[in-house]
Amino acid sequence: MSGGSRIRVASHIAALPPSGIRRFFDLVSGMEDVVSLGVGEPDFSTPWRISDAAIEALQRGYTSYTSNLGMLPLRSAIADYLRTEFGVEYNPETEILVTNGVSEGLDLAARALLEPGDEVLVAEPCYVSYKATVSLAGGVPVVVETRAEEEFRLRPEALEAALTDRTRAVLLGYPNNPTGAIMTREDLLPVAEFAARHGLAVLSDEIYAHLRYEGQHTCFASLPGMRGQTLLFNGFSKAYAMTGWRLGYVCGPEEIIGAMNRIHSYTALCASILAQFGAIEALHHCQHERDEMIDAYNQRRRFLVNGLRAIGLECFEPLGAFYAFPSIKSTGLDDEEFAEALLEEEKVAVIPGRAFGESGKGHVRCCYATSMSDLRTALERMAAFLDRLPRQV
Amino acid sequence: MPARLSGRAKDLKSSATVRLENLAKEMQRQGLDVLSFALGEPDFSTPPHICEAACKAIAEGKTTYTPAAGIPELREAIARTVERDYGYSCAPEQVVVSNGGKHALMNVWESILEPGDEVIIFAPYWVTYPAQIGLCGAKPRVVRTTIDNDFQPDLDEVRALVSERTAAILINSPSNPSGAVLERSIIEGLAEIAAEADCWIVSDEIYRHILFDGRQHFSPTMVGDEVRERVLLVDGASKAYSMTGWRIGWTVTPLEVAKAINRLQSQQASNPSSISQWAALAGLEGPQDCVRKMCAEFERRRDYIIPALADIPGVKIGKPAGAFYAFPEVSAHLDGHIVHKGKAVTNDDQLTTYLLEDALISTVPGSEFGLDGYIRLSFATSMDKIQEGVRRLRRGLVGG
Ligand SMILES: Cc1ncc(COP(=O)(O)O)c(C=O)c1O
Ligand SMILES: Cc1ncc(COP(=O)(O)O)c(C=O)c1O
Repeated sequence: MSGGSRIRVASHIAALPPSGIRRFFDLVSGMEDVVSLGVGEPDFSTPWRISDAAIEALQRGYTSYTSNLGMLPLRSAIADYLRTEFGVEYNPETEILVTNGVSEGLDLAARALLEPGDEVLVAEPCYVSYKATVSLAGGVPVVVETRAEEEFRLRPEALEAALTDRTRAVLLGYPNNPTGAIMTREDLLPVAEFAARHGLAVLSDEIYAHLRYEGQHTCFASLPGMRGQTLLFNGFSKAYAMTGWRLGYVCGPEEIIGAMNRIHSYTALCASILAQFGAIEALHHCQHERDEMIDAYNQRRRFLVNGLRAIGLECFEPLGAFYAFPSIKSTGLDDEEFAEALLEEEKVAVIPGRAFGESGKGHVRCCYATSMSDLRTALERMAAFLDRLPRQV
Repeated sequence: MPARLSGRAKDLKSSATVRLENLAKEMQRQGLDVLSFALGEPDFSTPPHICEAACKAIAEGKTTYTPAAGIPELREAIARTVERDYGYSCAPEQVVVSNGGKHALMNVWESILEPGDEVIIFAPYWVTYPAQIGLCGAKPRVVRTTIDNDFQPDLDEVRALVSERTAAILINSPSNPSGAVLERSIIEGLAEIAAEADCWIVSDEIYRHILFDGRQHFSPTMVGDEVRERVLLVDGASKAYSMTGWRIGWTVTPLEVAKAINRLQSQQASNPSSISQWAALAGLEGPQDCVRKMCAEFERRRDYIIPALADIPGVKIGKPAGAFYAFPEVSAHLDGHIVHKGKAVTNDDQLTTYLLEDALISTVPGSEFGLDGYIRLSFATSMDKIQEGVRRLRRGLVGG
């Protein structure tokens, strides 16, 4: 850059698009009597035991910085948990880094791994920040579409087709936000083979690992040969209703975790000590509370998916996370028009599918981490809305 | 894998502070009575009324995501604090709350720097500065200051470093590690240079509450309305309210930058802890005597440690006007008269290792902050420990 005032925002930041989801929240804020299936967070309060542990830590005066990696007792608890639940082994001293939410973990991984121009295959539709995170680190997100006809599973042929000699990593998140799709062990194996064959890092966002309504979650790192090639992301936001606490973690080979920790030590320092105390309690004593919430989500899931189908929307069976992703193509509206009209006319907030990437077009995301009565009202209002639409032939 | 790391990750060294702290902890685990003067955080717990506000927030279920830039209540309170303390009007939209001052500062760099840009910084500097600037693909250009001119930068040297690529001049007053406070005339001079260069001024004012001898804080935002348009201010709750572990810091910037930071943060990190935000709000809105009391205690310790250090032969020290660090010049002891494990000690890095292993006190070498021949001692520790620490340092340096 030469000449001219330096009093300006860097060009790549000025070009950063605001997330499509935020734009929608802006529409919602200020409206009254809205039933929101919009925000992707639990409606449950954080289990009391967790809160209590944090408060006790405060009372004992624990308000200082922690080690950059996070408190060792927390890292040990995470290691135990991953071993028992998913059969993967990580050394709490060197292979686990506690972060300010999974968000920070993903950002650190992108910075630690990507050179300018390196490509990351991103399974889409996906969490709104994946692509921006890759771009901000100088990488290039390359979209790999998944489709409703294939239950939004990631196919190795699609990965193969997107591969170039700049491909460096695959980024996937199952159970999936926004589709609710899952991948079984059999579905994941070919992805692992693909990654192994081409020497790619796999960034596996498993924040919804526990929110599975059929079968067991397979941790990507537990697949043959994948431990040394995978960065495993998980956190407390969803399974323990701790979104506001901002706590996540990332596990992987020592060298990469070490590099991520160096960056973290200069960009963040450590995660909130209070949240860390809460998280220790969550892992040690809150399986019951967690499973109760999951049972409730499952009940709501059935109710919502059946309801959506009953009012005439095609909806594939979501088996994970807490989202349904019905197709609205039969209405003749596009997803943005649908979501805006539904909000305006019936005061129900859902998120247009394109907020999660072009491949989400024609769908809307409905989060069912909300009360049954809200779900019932939402369905009634949606039925009324659909009734008024001219019939499609 | 694939353990191929990006260039920026490989270039980044872990800081000596962390390395020394780990070594010190390891020695403590082995039962050795190591005294630490290495860490940069207040030794007080967070005041009770702030903790109570956190408990209340938890009990009220304020444990969900907040807007990425922070809850409106906190942004408003910060804007009011700016109006009160700095005397200019500030809109809440100019404020973005982040995971600590460190994160807030990183957001600033990412919002303004492009690869190849330069930032003028003053040594001794907080290690994080060159690391963060480097992570953005930009370069620090360093102006050295020394104890002889009270760590005030020479304006002509600053001017000489300005180039087409100068994106910002960084000010950190009071300073970590020197405790120096920049004179008003110097800050005004820097503002003039920034205006000539038409670049930003980034001002890290995290230690602004810890000032001694009745001094008032002077910020580049106070130079005038025009200057303020180019000042990106970083502040936080860590040092003022002993809230290091809570991770709350913030930026106050012109609107355009605040919007950029907000977008960036919403993609990269989302909001800082909701509970910590409510706690920080209680800190800002509640009684401020906790800040004054803490500051008075730091001043008492400074008044002890500075003369005590000055009394050690070969130790040169000024009088820090703020923060909680003593930063003596010790090059007289690097002439090889100290021998550690069979080797002559000739630089500050070797000296701090010697002091740790032999005198059992942990300090940080000046070279960590870009200024050889110094060591940093944090006096955010109890008076007893300070007294014992100074005794050990004297014994380590001059024997007896
Ligand atoms: C797939 C996915 N990954 C990551 C996140 C961010 O989680 P955290 O709150 O841990 O930053 C979310 C939150 O919505 C998500 O849906
Ligand atoms: C000069 C300086 N700026 C900023 C910070 C940021 O602290 P935090 O991230 O805890 O707000 C520190 C902490 O050591 C510091 O020394």
